Amino acid sequence: MQNDIPRHGLRPATVGVHGGYDDDPSTGATAVPIFQTASYAYGSTRDLADVFRGRAPGHVYSRISNPTTYALERRLAQMEGGVGAIATASGMGAITAVMTALLRAGDEIVSVRGIFGGTVSLFRNVLSRFNIRATLTAPDAASVSAAVTDATKVIFAETIANPVMDVPDLPALSEVARSHNIPLVVDATVTTPALARVKDFGADVIVHSTTKFINGHGTAIGGAIVDTGNYRWAEGRFEDLASLARKAGQMALLARLRNVVYRDLGACPAPQNSFLMLQGLETLSARMPIHCKNALRLAEFLASLPGVEWVNYPGLPTSPHKPVVDRLYGGIGGAILTFGLAGEADPARCMDSFVLARRMTNLGDAKTLVLHPASTIFAEYDRSERLNLGVTDDMIRVSLGIEDFEDIREDFEQAITQSTEN
Amino acid sequence: MEITVNGDAVTLDGPLTIARLLVEQEVKMPDMVSVEHNGKILDRAEFDKQQVRPGDTVEFLYFMGGGA
Repeated sequence: MQNDIPRHGLRPATVGVHGGYDDDPSTGATAVPIFQTASYAYGSTRDLADVFRGRAPGHVYSRISNPTTYALERRLAQMEGGVGAIATASGMGAITAVMTALLRAGDEIVSVRGIFGGTVSLFRNVLSRFNIRATLTAPDAASVSAAVTDATKVIFAETIANPVMDVPDLPALSEVARSHNIPLVVDATVTTPALARVKDFGADVIVHSTTKFINGHGTAIGGAIVDTGNYRWAEGRFEDLASLARKAGQMALLARLRNVVYRDLGACPAPQNSFLMLQGLETLSARMPIHCKNALRLAEFLASLPGVEWVNYPGLPTSPHKPVVDRLYGGIGGAILTFGLAGEADPARCMDSFVLARRMTNLGDAKTLVLHPASTIFAEYDRSERLNLGVTDDMIRVSLGIEDFEDIREDFEQAITQSTEN
Repeated sequence: MEITVNGDAVTLDGPLTIARLLVEQEVKMPDMVSVEHNGKILDRAEFDKQQVRPGDTVEFLYFMGGGA
């Protein structure tokens, strides 16, 4: 355990390397040790009881906290500029924990549309059974504002909606949330703190699938929740959190998660996976520019091909989202794009023709990945519902890796040529 | 100066900030602690600024218990 206080003022790339952990005091190990333990022994009954009663810090059981995972939580919270973080077993585990901690029967979520199919399913197939309703709207502030009712307790958005590639104006959505005194929960999986600290755009709670760019190599499933400290739980519309805030202050949501919801749901990460996420954070800021540059170059290349009908990449000058991308993300449109082939070309034939790019349902791998959303993540919805969610039958989604761009370009050129030949 | 920390009288060179107090008291896992200063829960951004003075009361509170 460390006695230091959080380092202030360091930039995210530096925090990604150094944050959350000092050299192990007993060995000097600079890599965070993997504390592969289920539980922790205490010297006396009173010592253990003090931790249970909140009078002393300590790890008591790895479903609730673990030293390796704690280092990950500290590092990520520092990168995001948050007051604290909780790492989860998956991104879905993070969203489930946040929604379960905030909402009760009768409450509503207003979410931008075009988001990850798994999140839509959580809203429609799981939370709905507990009488929590979600409304999906266009991502502009006027549409989101119009969807808010007295029962709305959360506004939810993805930084760049996957797979429709809408880029919500988060400061504008934050204004809507402020005006109703409800939190803005932002899934920042596809941008990560390497592109932007969404705390500065008014995000109150950040969720991540750390499986993606944070891990960076497709080696483990994980998620995280960061409380940015923007939302004043003591003055908020959540009675239990307002009450808890009298003792926990800004830590009220994290305290409720740690002591009740996260603890009881049980979606904790394995220490080994936390180690892999910590390693990923160390190189995140070095990798993201390569992912994103490859995405822009591929978008430009695809747009130049007659065999390609459309390209959706928010970093292209022709994208309606480019002004928001310029304002919030320094002109960088992320590392994911979608495209459709011209004419009647079969997207499956194109998919099957890739040699380098892998047919996989994941994002943020070092490898370039391709996916046909309509037949995979969104297959559980009928065609009209898929179109309603912004997923067309011809859509091919690409998550750019960090390979040499010329090799990516050649792979796409040959795959598209093959699939558009008669 | 003398202050009260978690109910115990503590003698320190002071005055000092809450952030410094966390270090001097060797508070473990400082990211997990909530600090109550003279009955008021502090924002974390205040840790660097808030001064502790003679006679003050400080409580360190943790929210990480509850095992199997």
